[in-house]
Order: sequence, then structure tokens, then C-alpha cells
Amino acid sequence: MSLNPPSSDPPAPSVPVAVVVVAILVVCGLTVTATAAYFELKPTSASPGTVTVTDDLGRTVAVPADPTRVAVLSPSITDSMVDLGLRDRIVAVDCYAGAFGGLTADYTASQIAQWNLTSSMCVQAAPQLSIEQLLNATPDLVLVSTIVSESAIEEVSTTYHLPVLVLQPSTLGGIIVDVELLAQVFHVGAPAESLVAALQTHLAQAASVGANLSANGTALPTVMLTYYADSAGYWTYGPGTFGDSLISLVSAVSISAGQTLPYPEMSGPQVLVANPWGIIYAVGFGVNLTIFQQAPYWSSLSAVGADRVWGMDSTLLTEADPTMILEGIPQLLGLLHPTAVG
Amino acid sequence: MLAGVGATGTLPHEGAGRPASPARRKYLAWAVGVGGILLVLLSPALGTVAIPTGTVFAILLHQLSGGFLFSDPCSGTGVSPRLCSAWVEIVWTSRLPAILLALTAGAALGMSGATLQGIFRNPLADPYLLGLSAGGTLGAAVLFVFQVGQSEANVALPAFAFLGSILTGLAILLAARVMGGSVESLLLTGVALMSLLSAILSILLLYNPVGSLQVDFWLLGGLGGATWDRVGIAFGGVLVAGVMLSLYRRELNLLQLGPEVAHSLGVEANRVRTRLLLFSSLATAMAVAFTGIIGFVGLVSPHIVRRLVGPDYRRVLPGSALVGGVFLLAANDLAIGAFPQTALPVGIFTAFVGAPFFLYLLYRRRHAPGGAPP
Amino acid sequence: MSPALGEVRLRATHLHVQFGERKALQDISIEVRAGEFVALTGPNGSGKTTLLRAALGLIPVAGGLVEVGGRPTGELSARERARWLAWVPQEEIPRDNLPVRDYVLFGRYAHLPPFTAEGPHDRELAEAALTQVGLIDRADSGVLELSGGERQRVLLARALVQESPTLLLDEPTAHLDIGHELDLLGRVRKLVTERGGAVLAAMHDLNLAARFADRIVVLSRGRLVDDGAPRAVLSETLLREVWGVQAELREDPRTGHPYLLPVLPGELFPPRRRNERGPVHVVGGGGAGAPILRRLQAEGFRLTAGALHLLDTDAQTAEELGIVFVAEVPFAPLGERAREENRKLLERARAIVVAPFAVGPANLANLEALPAFAGHVPIYLVGGPPDADRDFTGGLARETWERLRAAGALPVATLEELVRTLAQPSALAA
Repeated sequence: MSLNPPSSDPPAPSVPVAVVVVAILVVCGLTVTATAAYFELKPTSASPGTVTVTDDLGRTVAVPADPTRVAVLSPSITDSMVDLGLRDRIVAVDCYAGAFGGLTADYTASQIAQWNLTSSMCVQAAPQLSIEQLLNATPDLVLVSTIVSESAIEEVSTTYHLPVLVLQPSTLGGIIVDVELLAQVFHVGAPAESLVAALQTHLAQAASVGANLSANGTALPTVMLTYYADSAGYWTYGPGTFGDSLISLVSAVSISAGQTLPYPEMSGPQVLVANPWGIIYAVGFGVNLTIFQQAPYWSSLSAVGADRVWGMDSTLLTEADPTMILEGIPQLLGLLHPTAVG
Repeated sequence: MLAGVGATGTLPHEGAGRPASPARRKYLAWAVGVGGILLVLLSPALGTVAIPTGTVFAILLHQLSGGFLFSDPCSGTGVSPRLCSAWVEIVWTSRLPAILLALTAGAALGMSGATLQGIFRNPLADPYLLGLSAGGTLGAAVLFVFQVGQSEANVALPAFAFLGSILTGLAILLAARVMGGSVESLLLTGVALMSLLSAILSILLLYNPVGSLQVDFWLLGGLGGATWDRVGIAFGGVLVAGVMLSLYRRELNLLQLGPEVAHSLGVEANRVRTRLLLFSSLATAMAVAFTGIIGFVGLVSPHIVRRLVGPDYRRVLPGSALVGGVFLLAANDLAIGAFPQTALPVGIFTAFVGAPFFLYLLYRRRHAPGGAPP
Repeated sequence: MSPALGEVRLRATHLHVQFGERKALQDISIEVRAGEFVALTGPNGSGKTTLLRAALGLIPVAGGLVEVGGRPTGELSARERARWLAWVPQEEIPRDNLPVRDYVLFGRYAHLPPFTAEGPHDRELAEAALTQVGLIDRADSGVLELSGGERQRVLLARALVQESPTLLLDEPTAHLDIGHELDLLGRVRKLVTERGGAVLAAMHDLNLAARFADRIVVLSRGRLVDDGAPRAVLSETLLREVWGVQAELREDPRTGHPYLLPVLPGELFPPRRRNERGPVHVVGGGGAGAPILRRLQAEGFRLTAGALHLLDTDAQTAEELGIVFVAEVPFAPLGERAREENRKLLERARAIVVAPFAVGPANLANLEALPAFAGHVPIYLVGGPPDADRDFTGGLARETWERLRAAGALPVATLEELVRTLAQPSALAA
């Protein structure tokens, strides 16, 4: 203890705090710039000849004139490529969540066998795009659907300088547009034309069936198109989805047509009240008839009693690709309007 | 009752009893330090794609020397030049920034956790105590749901998450200033705000399954999307926050004595708390912006440091930065090593490592001499 | 008395403190000068701690002023105030096991420029303070390893390094044992007398306050009751009015300090029933009568005894208990005088109790005097008839005993039975 009154406040530090902050920020800014300038890899010299293409999201992308190594990160796009005879250009395909899914999470066994896919071609696209696997495949073009996040697409194109085309059809007609786009990019001539013609024929055929039915005054059958079921009800395709478009195209009425959500779950009572004439359920990726048999009111549905329940390969209902039109539509027509198709 | 007449001291809190003897502590600190350095050096060799370790180092040296050393880093592996340059990209543009981001974000979370544990004098405080996680998530959700700024998604997502976080922090500071600035008012304001933000978030995601999925994934935290410029920004922000926090280490020590004693010793407790919270929020928001919500790093790192160097914040704060960085990096390496074919969110692994470790720390404290928890 | 007092270090003027509706302090005005140890006393809840905390700026002041060194504390920054006032709280439970040295160095915060670490000067002050409180050899121990008393001393050391001219202590000895109490207060006293410090200490122990303080301030229910030297302030009236306690004011003969000796409220032991019934004359000797004498006196009987030889155990017991008894020279047979006096006591007795004493020729007369009273006065024969181990009269004692019994004396086997029997109203003669 001192006898004297205490001294006044000790002097403030010689360098005010604000100056310190600004100094640090300046240093950081310089560091960032220097890092970016020095450390970032210079993109390799531009490949000889590029072509500008507009994808489904309206992005204009400069793609190589003749891409030979393509990473296809969506099963529907893979289908389109194969149908166009471009299988040999595919070097990587999507595999959902690597160790927990792999190839079989995104592709059916028959697809894997038919298209000769191997797990060494795997690039995880969802839930998170694996940059390493993508880079390791050394593609010169990347085709994705919107399942890959926007920021991942940004990253691939901006940071790694890989051209990315987003193909995401929203209507059946859009499938044809995408086929034409691919044909343009890969310079597929005649095979593309015949494919497009076949697609258009199938669409027209389906429409004509519908026209005949309305001319005859036949009532359109009500259909439940379901891809999953649990103890609460049935998961169906609402308005705006391909499933819904297909049903409309094949001249049937979906019981989920009035729903608001794109992938609504309809409860057992709701389905019972709607009492669809026919039920089509998706098969594949772990889903089969047993799941639907255990759903509420299954056995009470008149369609079940009348044996108007049919299973369809789920890829035909969900993957927006040529196969959907070439095989899915005829199958649906055959199930729902056996007499009209003949 | 407290230690009274003639009894030996009781009521241990941190570093109960003394932390392990000085010799043992020094040994442990060295072990952690060396382990950390080794981890940083070896991490570039870990990844989804298997690249030989020698090649990885060759690539690193090649790049660091501006191309001078190892003109052909992949020689001896027999891979094509195209694949080699892909590997260079992988190591240099994908892995290395992710490692640096892990160290930076981990440091931010560690320092922030230590600061909040000091301000609230609560060993269970973590960087998200005041709701900065809810704010950041809401920012990201707004982006996902309303598709705002989608064209610049790379910049927009971190920006939105950062804004969400830092605005929450500022809101709390402002609200608390109105209500007095005491520890209780800060905490209660934070809790109230967090509930409000979570409610808004729920409403936003209710009818938006795609947005909901994206938010869920973002919530788990991850080091994907790390690029050099992001690392630069994160490092800058965290450096500022770290330096500013360090300037108040002495005050943090004094705050541990309780608000009244601290005041009587000359500390303007409210002002100091505000500054500490401001810069801690900056650090947290930086981490949240670039890595999502990663838990346990901010909670566990200060405890590890206290066991190694004691409870003095002059050492705990910088120590938490180092340990936090190494911890996050270790968790990320574990995520890659355990499931190489899958990019799992790192937040899962910080929990896997952090939770048992935290229980272990609690167990050690219960059995320290004098035992009863505070 | 302390030497000439210095300037006013701390002054409260018309201080009012309110917690919501409750007025904790009303119109308090006190001064503490350099070289003064002022003890702040009062019952629990009188506002002692509130006053200290108001002086420190820990609670808002509703009215009035607190000044340190002539300046209102509201104008000072926390740092400045810390340089004027140092506080030793009632107790502090450290959360972390920091080294004692570091803990004491916390007190230097107010003197360090912002963002500066402690320097050699600060460390020297810490060493000096620890030496002053006698803890220099524990400087590197963890603060949680100290005893309660040692921790209080560490807090004092921390206050010392603050180098403040005024020290505020809040019940500094509340959790200390008597040795540590005296030690701590002694050290504080030295600070005041040797270094000219000013101390304001809230204390609950008035005697310690009187012993160590120059002035005592008494608070009651938030108001100032008295303020002055201990001799002037402490009084029995004060204790009764403020604390509601009965006390005697004494003066320590060695030092002249006043001290208060509280009188315990109410009676702690039930009053012994004195001199209720009797007289009961107890005939005994050789220790046989002693238990009977004690017990019967405790039961409230007025007793006489005889005839007993001096130095006999029963005689000593009777003397101790203040019981009138007939005495005879040791070992001599009972003389004429003794027998006469014994007879007088027997005549006055309303009951006679015969203890199972050893009878010999020297005291056989005690028994032989009794048959004359049988029939007039109840006689109680405790224990069985004298047999070989207590009859040394060749059977005469036994014969007399039997005679007494035949004449109506009542044998009682044990002392308890005697007490029970005597409890009845009819046990004594009218």
C-alpha cells in the first residue's frame, strides 16, 4: 500500500488498435492476391478449337470441338449417350455416395451389364460431387443434371477449368431437345436423326391413342403411379413431374393430378377414396411389390382385387431419357389401353 | 460447502488437481505439436483418389518451388502426362486448400470456443452458443430456397452464410447492450434469437424438400469447395479475429474471477466482453461461411489445451487455435481414410472423435482430487 | 490510538441505495481517513456489504455521492477506481488452479498499459506482498491447494499489489479459524499503522472490531446508528437495541479494549428444584451415603446427615453439596455432643433414610438412636440388613436393623426404589 494517491491512467498504447486492424487486413489482402497469382495453376493452353453451346440452364459454355473423354454424371444422360452410339466416349459415370451405394445405387443391374459400366468409372455426384474422382478421370467435358449443386458446377468450371453442360429436361419434349444438343456436340449425324424420328413417332402415337379414345367417348382410366410406400401411404408423382406427364400422355388420369407438391405422399384413405382403376408401381433399387402390399388399404383397393396392378422398371418412370419414351410409353399404353394398342 | 477452516482446497474446476505434472505435460505438449506437424505434412497424401505418397511430395515441392524442383513429379509412376497434371490439380488445387482451410477454420473454432468458455465461465460453451450457427444456416437456406444469387453460387453461399452468422452476432451484442450487457442477458438473448431463427428456418424448409436436403448437407459441415482464394479470405478474417482476441487474453483471465472481482481490479467487464464476442463472432462466422456447421472442435480443443498447458488464457487462446486446427484436420483425414470412396461430411467425424474424448475428459475431472463437479 | 490522521481517502455523503422497492441504505455519510481502520458493523442485512459494493461501483446509487481522493467515483474509469480502491471479498473460490504468484499479479491490471504484460517491477511488488502476508514459500503452489485462511491472505496480497491507498474488506474473517482471524486482522492493522493505509472493513465480530479498529460504524436496517471510537460506541444498550442481544460490557484488563460478553437468551438448563421437601435425614458413612445424598438433593430434597466422621467420603460429599451434617473427629467413636446433635436433626427430620453403611463400634450409635423415632417418622432402610461384610459389631447392627424393621421401617432394595417411594406425598411425615 502506498501513501500517495495513485498515478493517473497509464498512457494508451503507442499504436492505436484501429491501425493494427487495418494493417492486418492489408497484409491479408496482399497475401490472398499473391497466393492467387503465384499459386493458382495456370490453365493449360486452350485446346485447339472450341465450340460455344447453350445448355438447359441457359449457360453458354465453350466445349471442345470433338470431346473424346466425357464424364456423364446422370443415368439419364448416360442413356442418351448410349442410344446415340457414344458409349466409347464415356470415361466416368455417377455413383451415389461411394462406399454406401456405388454403381448399383444409380444404375440397374441390366443397365450396368448392357452398358458395360465398371466401378473404376465411378465419380460420386451426389450428395457431394467428388472433385478428386472427377479430375482423376481426366475428362474434357462434363455432363451433369441439376442433382449436382450449383456451387459444385461453378467450382468445376471456374476453378478447374472443365467445361460443364447441364442437361435437365423438364418435359418429354425436352428429352428430344437434349438428344439434339448431344448430337450437335458430338457430331452425330444419321443415328441421331433416326433416334429423334423414333422418339417423335412414339410421342405422336401416344397422342393419337388419346385422340381416338376421346372420339369414342371412352372414359379415361384413373391410375395411381407410385414409386414408394410406407405405413402412412403411397408416394406418387405430382404435377410437373415426368411421371405425371407420362400418365397424361398415355391418356390416363393420375389420382395425384390435383396435388400441390411435386412428390406428394397420399395417405391410405385418400387413395381408397380416389380408388384408381389401375395401379402401376416402380420396381428397382430396393423397391418391389412387397413394399406396396404392406401399405395401408392395399388389399381393399379395387384395382388390386381386379388384378390391375403392374410393376414397371423405375428407370422408365424417373430417368428422363430416350428409353423412357421408347420403352416406357409403349409399356404404359399396353397396360392401360390393351385394346387400343393391339 | 466450501473449503473452510483448515481444510485443504477443494472445488476443482479446470485442470482439476494440478494438470499432470509439468514434465508429463511438456511431453504431451510436444507429442501433440509433433503429431500435428506430421499430420499436416501427411494429409496431402490422403484422398479419394489414391496417389502415391512420393508423388504427392514431389508435386508439392514442384509447385512450391515454382516449377524449379521435380520438373516431372510423376516420373516413376508410369502415368500419362494428362493424368499427372490431373494429379497435380488434385493435390495442389483440391487437397492443399482443403487442408489449409481445415487448419484455419479449426483455429477459428478453437479460439472462439475458448473465448466463449472464458466469457461465460462455462466449460460447455462452444462457438455456436449464441446462435451463430442458426444465423449462418438461415443465410444458406435463404440462398437454397429462394435461389438467390445462384449464378454466383461459389461466392454467394459463403457470403450469405457469413452474413447470416455475423448479423446474428451483432444483433445479440446490440440487444444485450440495451439490456445491460451482463453475462446473463447475453446468454438469454442468444438463446431467444437462436429459437427464433430456427423457427424461421423450419418454415422456410417445410415445403421445399430440395432446399431442405441441401441445407441438411450443409449443416453437417464439410471442407468441400475449398479453393485458394477462399482460403486466403478465411485466413485473413481469422487472423484479424485471432490477433484481436489475443490482445484481450489478460482480461479473459481476469474475467474468470467473476464479474465483480474483475471490476474491482479495474476491468471494464462489459466493454471487454463486447469486444471479445465481436471478434469471436467474426472467427465463427468465417468458419461457418466456408465449412458449414462443424461441431465439437470449439468445445473440445480448449479442454485439450487446458490439460496440456494449464488454465491461463495467455496460453489457452493460442493453444486452442493450434489444437483446433489440428483437430479438424485430423477429423477430415479420418473421414477420408475411413471411407475413401465417399465424401462424407466432416462434422460426423468431429462428433465421432469429439464426443468420446469429451466424455473421457469429464471422467478424468470427476476423479480428480476433491472430485465434485462445479 | 493511531497517529495523526491523514486526508480523507473515502467519503460517502448522504448515500442512498435502493433495490427495487427496498431501501438498502438510507442517508449514509461516513469518512475514512489515511491511517484509520474503520470497522463497519451491524446485524445481517443492515447494509454493510451494500455500502462496500456501492463504494466500489458494483451497484448503482440512488442518491448521494461516494468520493475517493476527493473525486466522485462515478467519474472514474474502472481502472482508475481500481487504483484508488482495493477490495478483499468475503471469499473467493477460484475456478482454476493458477499459481499463487499469477493470482496475486492479477492485482496489477489497473497499473498496466493496455495490451502490456507484467514487468519486473510488477513481479517485485507481488513478491513483496506475498512476503508481507507470509505466503512467499507458497508462491508457486496452485491456488486451489491452499487452505481457506491462506486463500484469504492471497486475496489480501492481491489487494496490496494494487497499491491502492484505501482497502475495503468484506467480512474478511468470516470463514477463518481463530488463529487465522487474528493473523489476518493483525496484518491489516499493521498496514494501517505502519504504512498509513485507510481500511474500511465490514465485520461481524464486535469484539474483534473493538480490538483492531480505530472507529466503529454501526448500521441497522440501512441506517447509520453510530460512528466513533469503540469505547464510545459499544454499549449494552447498543447491543440490545440494534442486535437484540443481552450483553455485559467488560474491559480487557491488559489492553483496556472494551469487549462484550453476551448473556445467553433464556435458561439453558432447567432450574434445579431446591429445598422443596424435607428435611430428610440420611444416616450413612464410608461412602454408602454419598450416592443417596447426591440423588436426593438433585431430586429436590432438603437434606441433613449424620453423624459422620470428618474425612469420611460421605462427610466430604455432604460438605461439597452444602448439606448440614453432624461431624465427629475421625476414627473416634461418636461422642456425647455428636449424638446429641444427631438427635436434634433426627427430631426435625420428616423422613429418615438409612444407607447400607459399614457399621462398627465407632458409629453404631447412629443406628441405635433410630428405634426411638420409629413410628413417629418414616424410616427407610436402603439395601438389605447388615450382614458379615458390613456388620462389624458382632451382630448388634443387624439386631438393631431387624428391630427397626419390626417397628415399621420400610426396606427399599435400591436407590431408585427409594426415590420412587419418596416421590409419593405420603412418604414424608406431615
